[in-house]
Amino acid sequence: MVNVAVIVKLEPDFSEGNVSYNPDGTLNRAETKSILGPHSAIACNAAFYTKITYGSRISIGTMGPPIADSALKQAQELTDADEMNLYSDRIFAGADTLATAEVLRSGIVKMLDGNKIDIVFSGHRASDGETGQTGPQTAWKLGYTFLGNVIEVNIDLERNYVIVKRLVMLQGFDGIVEEVEAPLPVFITVDPSYSPNYRTIYQRLAFAKYRKEAIARANNYKQFLKIYDSKSLGVDPKFVGLPGSPTIVYRVEKIPKAKASRKAQLIEGQDIDAIKSIVPKLRPIVS
Amino acid sequence: METFDVAIVGGGSTGLAALKHLSDLGKQAVLIEAGPQVGTKNVSGGILYSKRPRNGKVHNVEDVYGSDFEASAPLERHISKYILHATSGNKIFTLDLTPAHEYQTNFGYSVLLNKLNSWFASVASESAEKQGGGIVTGVHVRDIQWSNENKTLIHTDELEEFQVKAIIAADGVNSEIAYLTGARQKFSPNEVYQGVKVVIRLPEETIEERFEIDTSEGAAHLFAGDVTLNHIGGGFIYTNRDTLSLGAVYHYESLFSKPTEPSTLVNALIQNPFVSELIKDEVITIDIDRELSKEEQLRKRFALTKLVKTFEELRYSCYSSSGRTRLIDSGKFKNFEEMKAKLDSIRQELIEKYNTKFVTNYVELEYSAKLVPDGKRCRMKKPYHRNILFVGDAAGRGIFIGPRIEGLNVGIDDAVRASLAISRSIDKNNFAEDYMGQYYTSLVEQSPYTRDMKEIDKEYLKIFLESTKSIPKEIVGSRYGFIFKIMSSGKLRGLAVGIANLLGYEKILPLVESEETYVQVPIEVALKLGKKIDPSYTPVPPSIEERVARLRYNDDPISHIIVREPESEFLRKLVVLCPTRCYYHEDNKVMLQHEGCIECGSCAKGTEWRHPRGEKGVIFNYG
Amino acid sequence: MVTESFSNNSGGKYRNLYVVIEHIEGKLVPVSLEMLGEARRLMDDFNQRYQESERVVAVVLGYKVQDLCQQLISYGADVVVYAENKELEYSRNTIDTKVIAQISRDAGLAKQISPEYIPPYIKPRYMFFAADSIGRHLSSTVLAELESGLASDINKLVISDIDFRHEHKTKGQTIRYERTLEMYRPDFSGFLWTTILCLDNKNPEIMRDYHPQGCSIIPGVFNAIEPDIAREGLILQYKPTIDPEDLKVKVLNKQMLKKKIDFDGHRIIVSMGRGIKDDPEQNVKLIEQFARLLDAEIGISLPLSKRLYQLSDSINSKYMIPERVIGTSGSKVAPSFYIATGIHGAVQHIAGMKESEFVVAINPDENAPIKDESDLFINGRMEDVLPIIIEELQKLTPIVSSHME
Repeated sequence: MVNVAVIVKLEPDFSEGNVSYNPDGTLNRAETKSILGPHSAIACNAAFYTKITYGSRISIGTMGPPIADSALKQAQELTDADEMNLYSDRIFAGADTLATAEVLRSGIVKMLDGNKIDIVFSGHRASDGETGQTGPQTAWKLGYTFLGNVIEVNIDLERNYVIVKRLVMLQGFDGIVEEVEAPLPVFITVDPSYSPNYRTIYQRLAFAKYRKEAIARANNYKQFLKIYDSKSLGVDPKFVGLPGSPTIVYRVEKIPKAKASRKAQLIEGQDIDAIKSIVPKLRPIVS
Repeated sequence: METFDVAIVGGGSTGLAALKHLSDLGKQAVLIEAGPQVGTKNVSGGILYSKRPRNGKVHNVEDVYGSDFEASAPLERHISKYILHATSGNKIFTLDLTPAHEYQTNFGYSVLLNKLNSWFASVASESAEKQGGGIVTGVHVRDIQWSNENKTLIHTDELEEFQVKAIIAADGVNSEIAYLTGARQKFSPNEVYQGVKVVIRLPEETIEERFEIDTSEGAAHLFAGDVTLNHIGGGFIYTNRDTLSLGAVYHYESLFSKPTEPSTLVNALIQNPFVSELIKDEVITIDIDRELSKEEQLRKRFALTKLVKTFEELRYSCYSSSGRTRLIDSGKFKNFEEMKAKLDSIRQELIEKYNTKFVTNYVELEYSAKLVPDGKRCRMKKPYHRNILFVGDAAGRGIFIGPRIEGLNVGIDDAVRASLAISRSIDKNNFAEDYMGQYYTSLVEQSPYTRDMKEIDKEYLKIFLESTKSIPKEIVGSRYGFIFKIMSSGKLRGLAVGIANLLGYEKILPLVESEETYVQVPIEVALKLGKKIDPSYTPVPPSIEERVARLRYNDDPISHIIVREPESEFLRKLVVLCPTRCYYHEDNKVMLQHEGCIECGSCAKGTEWRHPRGEKGVIFNYG
Repeated sequence: MVTESFSNNSGGKYRNLYVVIEHIEGKLVPVSLEMLGEARRLMDDFNQRYQESERVVAVVLGYKVQDLCQQLISYGADVVVYAENKELEYSRNTIDTKVIAQISRDAGLAKQISPEYIPPYIKPRYMFFAADSIGRHLSSTVLAELESGLASDINKLVISDIDFRHEHKTKGQTIRYERTLEMYRPDFSGFLWTTILCLDNKNPEIMRDYHPQGCSIIPGVFNAIEPDIAREGLILQYKPTIDPEDLKVKVLNKQMLKKKIDFDGHRIIVSMGRGIKDDPEQNVKLIEQFARLLDAEIGISLPLSKRLYQLSDSINSKYMIPERVIGTSGSKVAPSFYIATGIHGAVQHIAGMKESEFVVAINPDENAPIKDESDLFINGRMEDVLPIIIEELQKLTPIVSSHME
């Protein structure tokens, strides 16, 4: 039995028909419904894989406003989680990744009645701004080995090791698949290309069975939900929220390059001079 | 290696019924479905019947799923009106065939297979789990092999191989299992019908008003005459809860002899003046100023989509009694007037703020196609191969008798018979052809449905002819007038049917299923007796490209169809007959672009045809 | 009104710009040189403006990396600190983080880097990482260890003195933060630019200093400087302490994926469609020549991958392959320039190229849907139009061979 945590994030539903923008181009958060972030969902799939393949207890954690519990419900449907934790406090507002990591660290050590978590899964990044720093920073604060861009997870239960595959993308390379082993505990961020590979009928049937159980549980998800504020979490207010954030958003502006939609300028095939005129346009790129 | 008692290949309503029944018989069965979820690959016209033949017994859906089936399954409407229309130009002549529809019938419901099969799946998998079985989706069976020790091994594209004792092939009209085991030939155009269907959206109460039904009723309308564009077959509209299933089903051979694009045939029906009034709706057209900056366009579009979504949801709830109750119970609205006022205000906002236009047209949700086996012509005489039993469409078992088109109920009946045969074999541990296969064949032969595929039922014919009494026989020219006269007299009818049955269906089919029956006679009737319809608009159907664009796909870069003979006559016809125009001419060869394929199998006979790999390909939302 | 000035130059405690270099298989990842180029420009300006002599310090971890050091100097580093160890051959987050933190905090090293500054030294002033699969995570853990702020995916950087007022951060007062790195990052919508600051801490209750100001930089946005092999610099070897416990994390194997086609590495993509049909072999060769002149990658529309035309085997196997397909069932591309030759513009194709910055279409059919996705539409056949452009392009290329007779 492995103790597994999943850190998820509630994100705006960017799909057409649901998202709403202000006239200045910023997201209208009040008018936009929140859902479980797509990368968080992928992390959930990885956690569910460990449940089906190795047997695991799963705890979900998220930091966010009280309405974030709808994301937790979705996460439970995907993972059949045994427990869900919402870290919610006014003083958490304005947190950057370091301050968020502080809250999550404090939350993870309290999961599953304080039993040590063996693997933490989180999404690669959030779609609404945060950019893949929270995971590794939380890992660092926990003292867990961090493994990013993971595309396959195997657990060696006898040695208490994970053996994972990571997809490393570097400029000028088509991708490198790296196989890494590490002793538990580990913190894994799951690559967007991850998809669990269930290769036997029994795994597939177990998947269906647990998924059904998960949906039933999620219908009563509040029963599994614990809500923490800064006090019950035991965090130092100096290290969370705005005061605990080294960085701040100073300014938001429109990126000037944005241009009107395409409207083709027409050049007739016989107009040789006009055709030649495209060459100067290419020139700065070529040289 | 993993080992199971039974594998059922294909999660359509037939395969699911087999899973349910086998499990109820205490046997372990695993159903393998290639679609990402059950129901995403299934298409039906769709009426699901329950029957009570006077001679013999059929296994009905409620026998498999329990007596509360009608109360709990997601059925659309109880079909209480069965109408046949003959069309010619703007004239239409209408016959009430409800007595023929009710003949030996417990009930008939319009259904949408995505929803219904999902329900079947949830019930069946619950029973299956108790026996250590269940449903596995997203897995495509690639091959079946028998080892030297006579073990049956199933190879799939997605899983490690596994072993079973027996197999039920419920993989549909384009049964790959039939092809790869050589159990039967691919169906030729003469043996199947090609059906193309669109799902059209309409508010619940608009449907009830136009089809003159109440909320507990449903209507089925059939069409013959000039809407067939001179092909053998016809059109149909079935009322669902808040959608309509509208389609065209034509003898594939008739289409081959005069190739016409399937979408053109559906469009002909849609544009028939009588039909266009039935489907008429108010359609919102969005026009965003392309001169605006890109992000401004995007913002507008997002805002508009959201508003339109709210408008449509409210409108659909507002014009449905259950929807209204829901809205009032939720506390959002006090009464209908409030909803109406809200609708008007959004409408105003759409027009004034966003320059949205409301035009008269109709709303198409989904385009689909399938081949329908004509059991008279193509049912497998030996529906087995080694320890594999073929059921439903896979065995070519469908009923096609004039206006009577049935498949779902036949498949369910087969599924129960196959389950009984396999169950007996498991108990005796004997899966030999002469034990299991032949026993299953004998059970199928006893089915009244098989009888319907073999001979004319003179009682049915009598009821059918009763319904046509209002047509003066002298209008029906040529040989048909004569046949009508014979058939109308009880004595002569008995004699004629006796002779016909003696001759066999094969001999009389060309006579019965001819252009004259489906095209000329109806046109003549409509012209002479029909009512004139003045259409208030002309519907504009979407182009093929738009229809394909609205469908959901999980594209597989590897094509599931391979063209081996790009210069064959068969494939040349497919350039026209493929419902999604996947074939095109290039330098005197026929080329395939498999993206957009809706997996109907219309091209299967002339290609190397497989179903796409697990989870790949088209995903139907309605089916 | 500036009421208080907050200097980031408190006696050289925080100094220099550290650039964490990435390399693989003995070669530098291009973004490393791009970061150095931007670091060089920023620090030249910084030193002039503030009368300082702070350094651009390249930090390299690895095994057998000495050869790279000189190269880093020629690309703009003043100092290269390299940690050479067999255990550092492959990047491993925990070990790398600890080594970089050691290097960042090492006062002795800082003294070697800039002897003219008087101690104490605490940490670097600024720090750059690459925003890729290595740097994104490494920057996070390093800055968590150093307890400072980090902005990711940066595509513009400015150093300035900022007068800043914030209800909580500055208790409503305007404070001047000197030598602050303004870190610009495009936001998720792609329309907005957010500037992130890592401001020094002035709350005495919090024992943190918020240096270095860290960021990860998007590969491909900044330009490397022209390498100068004559440039001089200091190369220092660093002997890290490695905790044997951390060695339990092992890279078991590495597998390099190989795509034949590199759409992302080219700023121009030339694609072809069925418009090659009149003379396929010659037209493909024409496109080949055109693409070579532009250093462009070649894409195709889906139908071509089905080998519609009689073409030589060499051309078929090189070009008419699924890997080159642009569209829903192939690659999605977004080059600076997309040149669609003889492409009609099926919806599937458009979906794969519509994010391109500037689109030119060459097509004899003025009603082809590609026109609606083009910025420039040349109404003609490729065999007529391309030679004109090729000729003009050839005029641009410097003629080196003229004196060689």
